[in-house]
Amino acid sequence: MHWNRTHQGRRIRCAAHLLVAAILALSLQWLLFGQATPAPVAPPNQVSPTQVSPTQVSPTHASPSLAPANQAPANQPPAAAQPATGQRTLLIMIDPAHGGTESGAVLNPVILEKDVTLALARRLRQQLGTRGIQSQLLRDSDGILSADQRAALANAAQPALYISIHATSQGSGMRIYTAMLPAGGDNSGPFVDWQTAQSASLAHSRWAQGQLVAAVQKTGFPVRSLAAPLRPLNNITVPALALEIAPTTGDVSQLASADYQQMISAALANGIATLIPSLRAKTEFAP
Amino acid sequence: MIPRQFAFATVILFSLAVGMSVYVWQLRRREALNPQPSVPAQHVSPPTVGPMEKVTVYVAYDDPGELRAQSISIPLSSGRQQRAEELLRGLLNIYLEKNSPHPLGAGSEVHDVYLVNQGIAVLDLNSAFVNGQTSGVLAEELTVASMIQTLSTNIPELMRVKILVDGKERETLAGHSDLSGFYDVSEVEALAKQLSAQ
Repeated sequence: MHWNRTHQGRRIRCAAHLLVAAILALSLQWLLFGQATPAPVAPPNQVSPTQVSPTQVSPTHASPSLAPANQAPANQPPAAAQPATGQRTLLIMIDPAHGGTESGAVLNPVILEKDVTLALARRLRQQLGTRGIQSQLLRDSDGILSADQRAALANAAQPALYISIHATSQGSGMRIYTAMLPAGGDNSGPFVDWQTAQSASLAHSRWAQGQLVAAVQKTGFPVRSLAAPLRPLNNITVPALALEIAPTTGDVSQLASADYQQMISAALANGIATLIPSLRAKTEFAP
Repeated sequence: MIPRQFAFATVILFSLAVGMSVYVWQLRRREALNPQPSVPAQHVSPPTVGPMEKVTVYVAYDDPGELRAQSISIPLSSGRQQRAEELLRGLLNIYLEKNSPHPLGAGSEVHDVYLVNQGIAVLDLNSAFVNGQTSGVLAEELTVASMIQTLSTNIPELMRVKILVDGKERETLAGHSDLSGFYDVSEVEALAKQLSAQ
């Protein structure tokens, strides 16, 4: 009996042809239309905490141990210099927020937040340099960095203090923020939860916030301390602050003026200089 | 040797698949060229079915950058979920008024509030809400703290809040406030105290 002529054989061949046709059709559709758009989050009766758990959005590619050179664009700085003694040089990491296509707040039609933050960060670096304090910028050009990349670079450099700089048209003076950690996160084991990596340094960050606010207040400049749900503060493993600068005159163009930026950066540098002895005492940084 | 009828069936099915793909591609191209005019989103006022009740809402004030408790009277339904939605819509009505202390964009709306187990609330905002939100650390955290503090004051068992936009996760509200995780209500309460004690 020939297998090809049996009824079963025909059925198998028929099914095989249908399968090939379906695969061809699906391949064609995939080629024409690409991948389907992501489905929205399930409706409420199906939502469970695990489905939208913050841990699920944790990056696996941006762990704190990742070297900056692996992720940084060409314009990114290398990790902090390591003295031959094994002790680390005390470093202040300055992070001008936003950049590239992510311009931040449009303060007015010609002033973008990303440009103000970069200019202010450069002035702060210069002011710290004149006081003998080593600092680095996370972004020294109009490049784009994600919050995860910023945190990974900062964590790899292990600075004594991380400062993120923002600018706004609202309010007056300066706000200094510490992290407001999201719910969840288990940092009891050997690994640190990415979303709450700041938890171990939060007390240090609050102490630095208080010291900096007190130092800036002495200059008579309006300053306020708050917590903020602002990334990447919660992903940073060292003391971390964010600054938000607003004009004092109500005129947004003040933010772009060299005099105003110079005054703010000098006040900040003086404040940071007062933190240095305590930062040295609290950590193993080289004198 | 492939039987003739199966070969025909395969050719017909493949032709159908190709034809359908081309048809869908044409439909999508036509839709892309002539997009449907979007209906301007209207803010939905709280329904007047429930009895008027006095509730406390936390209103953001941009000028001093503060959060202030305020009593308002709004009609509230008996269902927990509807009450939560009506509370937030009552708060949004304040922000959408002409002389709002914390203006939001026209058409800002809370699609839904889902109260799920273990003290979790999921807020679903519309895209007009985030598009009209002023970008800034303080401006955005005032919006977030105002909504969560209003909810947690009136729903004491609330512990964690997640904010979605049009049913999807979003990284930030308008470039600053993080929306990727859950908000811990006790952390927001501490922030509300900081924002009130000025």
